[in-house]
Amino acid sequence: MRDAFSNALVAAAKKDPKVLLLTGDHGYALFDPFRKACPDQYINCGIAEQNMVGVAAGLAKAGFKPVVYGLAAFVPIRVLEQIKIDVCYENLPVTFIGDGAGVVYAQLGTSHQSTEDIAALRGVPQISIYSPGDRFELTACAEHIVRNPGPAYMRMGKADLGDVHRGPIEGWSHGDLIPVTNTGAPYLFIGTGSGLKMAQKAADALGNADVVSAPCLKPFPAKSLRELAKGREAIVTFEEHSIYGGLGGVVAETLMGQYLGTFVRVGIQDQFSSLCGNYSFLMESHGLSSEAVERQIREALNASVQLQD
Amino acid sequence: MKKFDAVRVRKTILDMAFAGSTVHIGCAFSIVELLAVLYRNHLNFDAKDPHAAHRDYMVLSKGHGVMAQYACLHEIGWLSDEEMSTYFGNGTRLKGLADAHVPGVEVTAGSLGHGLSVGVGLALGAKMNKTEQMCYALVGDGELNEGTIWEASLFAAQFKLDNLVVIVDVNGFQAMGTTDEVISLGDIEAKFRAFDFEAVSIDGHDEAAIDRAYRDFKASKNGKPKALIAKTVKGKGVSFMEHDNIWHYTRLNPQSYEAAITELGERA
Repeated sequence: MRDAFSNALVAAAKKDPKVLLLTGDHGYALFDPFRKACPDQYINCGIAEQNMVGVAAGLAKAGFKPVVYGLAAFVPIRVLEQIKIDVCYENLPVTFIGDGAGVVYAQLGTSHQSTEDIAALRGVPQISIYSPGDRFELTACAEHIVRNPGPAYMRMGKADLGDVHRGPIEGWSHGDLIPVTNTGAPYLFIGTGSGLKMAQKAADALGNADVVSAPCLKPFPAKSLRELAKGREAIVTFEEHSIYGGLGGVVAETLMGQYLGTFVRVGIQDQFSSLCGNYSFLMESHGLSSEAVERQIREALNASVQLQD
Repeated sequence: MKKFDAVRVRKTILDMAFAGSTVHIGCAFSIVELLAVLYRNHLNFDAKDPHAAHRDYMVLSKGHGVMAQYACLHEIGWLSDEEMSTYFGNGTRLKGLADAHVPGVEVTAGSLGHGLSVGVGLALGAKMNKTEQMCYALVGDGELNEGTIWEASLFAAQFKLDNLVVIVDVNGFQAMGTTDEVISLGDIEAKFRAFDFEAVSIDGHDEAAIDRAYRDFKASKNGKPKALIAKTVKGKGVSFMEHDNIWHYTRLNPQSYEAAITELGERA
């Protein structure tokens, strides 16, 4: 997925000399191809993220198309006010990349983890929010951003989980949900980012589920969701993000009053990572191991059946 | 009377503040000459098009001084008499803090420490576009408390932005007291020099000195960003407002408005 990102960035910069890459002294090996291909379009702003976003806004006003790269813990969280005032209020064509979203930087601890970035940005007008689940989705999101100038945030989470889709995603002009399977199964599992793999594993284990991906969280494709939700007994959302204000939140907001089945949000339960550990240890500690996720969904399904009785 | 006359600009500010029943009068008065001389003699703009691509940039990072900038934009003709009279009212574009949706206002400021970074981006953009555009960014001395000012200053020196002029309005006050009482700034000129700026200190109400400083800075293509440390008086121009921080917050009543206008009239 990181290669897909690097390729998309180099392609965009080669095609348009106004595309600039700004980094807060991050992305060492990731940007080697970019620095080689477009050295004059690469700006290391130093370890000063707030200034970097202001500079990006100024460059955008001067006719450039900056891509601002940082860890999701810093971009957008540390610089939220600069994104709001300097960029979004003027609807400037600045793209923000938040890398390592979720608990990817597992052992480094809370300062480098980001499970609130979607929630924090969703309330800011003008900005689009993308959260690709594999390299094909990332390429589609990048193309979507290039076609729709304006503020955009692309969340890049756990990048080495492998593909979900079999090939490039064509005709994704509306940012709709992307079905991986759509057989009319009783359960609808919706994943975003690394949550897409979680959804797929849970569907394989539990059965009776269609899996769809939500690479675009804002503007959220409400119509697409309502159509896919029709007739389902249960809907489950999966995300490596707080259950507040992310995918689970937006699906709940969208379906409130129109959907009466079981609804489960799989994600981070309003808590920090209290202990050190590798990625799978932390996912387990947040109740996001495959076994824990399956248990959470089974319990919700059983509870619903009991209520109906 | 010449364009951007300082007394007329102050009268316009008083009219706005009285009509809108607003605060921040002292904060606007301290920067009148700094803006007036800039707009009159140095800032390259197209009177017919505030968004002209090759304009010089005037960034009011100290967004609460915006009445002074609105008064200058009114002198150019970008803001009409009618619109000026709506300041701070319902349904107007003219909010109480600098807002980039107003023609001629480059950044949305008010949350301090934003404008200089955007100005640095504009100056860098001008360099990358190989134009001769200058970028002037006016910051308050209290605003120097913000860490982003120093992030932006490091960046400006690193990228050799000699087309950037940081104007520091040193009126010696911030919201809750003098700068010495709150967060002492020490020798501001020395601080900017230490950040590898070309810096000069002047009387921020001496139009000849301001004019000379802008001209010298524009001519100085030495790879160094510039800092104009302007010693000013908060509330300058109306004796009962000068050096009194209460005019950061106080609204005019008919008596104080009349007294202020009369005093300015006597100076005209």
